This record gives sequence, structure tokens and C-alpha cells, in this order.
Amino acid sequence: MKRSNYTNMRLLAALTAVLGLSTVSASAMHIAEGYLPKAWAFGWMAVCVPFVAAGFLSIRRKVERSPKAKVLLAMCGAFAFVLSALKIPSVTGSCSHPTGVGLGAILFGPTATTILGLIVLVFQALLLAHGGLTTLGANVFSMAIVGPIVSWAVYQGLKKAGARPAVSVFCAAALGDLLTYVTTSFQLGVVYGNVGEYLTIFAVTQIPLAIAEGLLTVVVFNVLEKYSTAELRELSVL
Amino acid sequence: MGTDRYAYLSRLRRVDPVAKVWVSLAVLLLCLFSESIAVGLVTLAVMCLLNMVLGGQRPGTVLHFIKVPLAFLVIGCLTIILRPLAEGEPALWSGLLFGRFRWGVTQAYLHMGLMVFCKAMGAISAMYFLALNTPMTDLILALERLHVPKLLVELMELIYRFIFVLMDTAGRIRVAQESRLGYGSFRKSLECMGDLVSLVFLRAWRKGDRVYTALESRGYDGSLTTLAAAYTGGGRLYAWGTAVAALQAATLLLERRLLM
Repeated sequence: MKRSNYTNMRLLAALTAVLGLSTVSASAMHIAEGYLPKAWAFGWMAVCVPFVAAGFLSIRRKVERSPKAKVLLAMCGAFAFVLSALKIPSVTGSCSHPTGVGLGAILFGPTATTILGLIVLVFQALLLAHGGLTTLGANVFSMAIVGPIVSWAVYQGLKKAGARPAVSVFCAAALGDLLTYVTTSFQLGVVYGNVGEYLTIFAVTQIPLAIAEGLLTVVVFNVLEKYSTAELRELSVL
Repeated sequence: MGTDRYAYLSRLRRVDPVAKVWVSLAVLLLCLFSESIAVGLVTLAVMCLLNMVLGGQRPGTVLHFIKVPLAFLVIGCLTIILRPLAEGEPALWSGLLFGRFRWGVTQAYLHMGLMVFCKAMGAISAMYFLALNTPMTDLILALERLHVPKLLVELMELIYRFIFVLMDTAGRIRVAQESRLGYGSFRKSLECMGDLVSLVFLRAWRKGDRVYTALESRGYDGSLTTLAAAYTGGGRLYAWGTAVAALQAATLLLERRLLM
């Protein structure tokens, strides 16, 4: 890269950092412990219960059919945790973490992703202080329920409509990522009565990151398709 | 990784994890339900002190972890405090955005923002009392005693173990890529990142395969049974918990009395 170009990038990165955008995008995915009023915190937990129950039953069915599924699911859960700990390159020059929502939903289906997401969020809350215990309900709803369902639906829909695999993977991952943050903004905005403000801060800044995650997921999916068709086939059985 | 490294060094490590769960949760919920600035600050101070005095954590460690959620909280609370105002609404401070929209700070929302901030800090410190004194493996075994479904507990145990294996794999791949001039430009970093993620996934899948084979050849019949370590009773901890709860209640009453 040319020197002037490099300086420009540095300047841009510094600017975004000053505006607080980089810190927002790096840690905005999780609503911190104690941030939500009590009624909302427990309300979101109640909303999650049927989805978590459905996910649990579907996982139990898979495990009963083949005991190997348990070990493989655990590997997938650990993979989701590691994925969310990686830094993805971003268009604006700042760095952020991928949500992994789209990849998880495409690979494991929305119901299994809900349970794996729940476990990963508990670990993130306790080990890394991303998120919290009482806000677990709200975080699970945006990240392990809405995101995966949107991604999965978009992916299946576009695949049925005959779009190219790269296009459907990109749309699924980018939209899943974006809608996760839109849900978070609504969760925060409805409580404190200013949805628009939260949307601009938490969701609009996320658009470039959503695009980056979409591109990344396409690259990942291409590699997987090339080298591991056997695993992917087993996964759809799983 | 994270809080776990310090939890293994904690003086409270051998104390019954169920006691730690209940005490932390009770303090956390009291702080959340009282919705007051004073209770939040008192909880923050007391729980950080307990972490150092009972748990034997260094002040620097506690401070480091307290700072982690600050970015979210500061931005989240500024959004509560600073908001658009109607024409002629009384405000402590107001200004015009782009010369047209009136934005500002009102008394009510300033109080609300500060309250949310202090409440959240108190709740976070209560959560850290659990996280910084209980290694994750002990906590997961405690969940089984609290009647969390066995399948979920086993998945958590396995995932927890595999996280470290995969983190190590990802770290090594990253070093290998960077030493071969990876991540140079945006396009290059996308490609490298894609290789990294898909390779980690492949390795995870194959490793899962091998773990299953190893388990099966050792008589695996669908569940992993482990024995919990011997714990000392949590009587003293419950006493401390009650004392903190009493302090929280007293603070709440005092604040109400003073503001009335």
C-alpha cells in the first residue's frame, strides 16, 4: 500500500476511534449486565423459553439417534465461541468481531444454533464479561434466535429461488448480522424511549461490518465446499 | 482465559460453588430491583472489596475486569441522557444539532442515565464475585446439582474443553499466516480470515470425530460421568451474603428517607 494511502487509513481509523464507533462495534453486540430494567430483563427470558425448549428437544432427538452427534455439536459450539473471539477486518479500518450467526445457522440449522448460542453467551458473560446473566434473555433473543432464523430463512429462500450459492450465503450472513443489531437496538430503544437514536448508534455503524461478515462467510463457505463436502453432507444429516 | 485464570487462584476456590451462585445472584438481583444510585455504588464497592478480601484477588485484576463493560455502558447511558427535546421543554443544557434540531439534557433523564449506570456497575461487580472465584468446571458441575438438564450440562463441559483446543489451533494458524505476510490489505485479510475460519472448522470436525472414537474405545455409552471435587461448606459465605443484602436494604431505606 502506498504511504499516503496508509496515512489516510490511519487517520480514518483514528477518527472512527475518536467517535467511539470502533468501541461500539466491538462490544455493542452484548447488552451489559444490569442495563435493562427488571421487567424487561425477565420478559425477554420468558420470550426465549419456547425457542430454547424447541432447540433442546431437537438436539436431544439428534443425540438419541446417534451419540456421536453430542461430541460434534460440542465442537460446533466451541467453534462458534472461537469465531466470535476473532477480529474481522472492516471496511472503515476499525476491527470488529464476527457474530458467526449466519455461518452457524447455515451449517447447523436455527434450532441447534439457539442452544449452542445460549451456552456460548453464558461463557462469554462469565469469562469475558461480554453480556450478563440477567440480560441473557435479551441477548439470546437477538443473537441466538432472531439472527439465526433470519439467516436460515434467507439462505433457504434464495437457494430455492435459484440464486447463486455465493449470493445466498452473502445475503444470509449480512442480513443475519444486521438484524441481530437492529433487534438489540429495538430492545434498548423501546425501554428507554428512543429507538431512532439507538438504531443510528448501534445498527447503522454495523452496516459495513455486516458486509464484511457477509464477504467473510462467502470465503469460508467456498473453502468448505471445495475441501469438505463429506462433512457438509454429514452435517445436513445431523 | 478471561476470568477463569484468576478463579483458579482464588482463596474461595474450594468453597461450595452452589453457595457462591446463590450469594452472587441474590446480591445481583437486589441491586437490580432497588433501582437506585446509592445501592448500585454500595454494591460495586462492597463486592469489589469482597473479591479482594475474601477471594484474594489483586486490586489491579478486579479493576481491569470492571473496565471491560465500560465502553458499552458509557455509550448506552449517554444515549439515555442526551436526547431530542420538544420546543420550549425545560432543560439543564440544550443545543442545536445541524442548526435545526434541539437536543439536550433534562433533569429526569440525567437521573435515569446515572441510575442505570450505577445499577449496572453494581450488578456487574456481583457477577464478577461469581466469575472470579469459581472455575468454570466447578460451576458447570454445580449447574447439574441445580437440576439443569444433563444433556445441556454435558454439552457445556465438552464445549468448555474444546474452546481451548480450538483457540490454540486458531492462534497457531494466525501466527503462520502473519509470518507469511498475510493480512496485508483488506482483500488479503478477508482471504486469510476465510482460510483461518474454514480450517478451524475442519480441524474441529475431524477432532470431534477422533474424540468420539477415543471415547468409544474406552466404553463410552452416551454420557460422561465425572466426580466433583470435595468442597468446604458455604456457611460463612451465606453469612457474608446476608450482611451485604442487609447493607443494600439499609442503603435503599436511607436514600428514600433523605430524598423524601
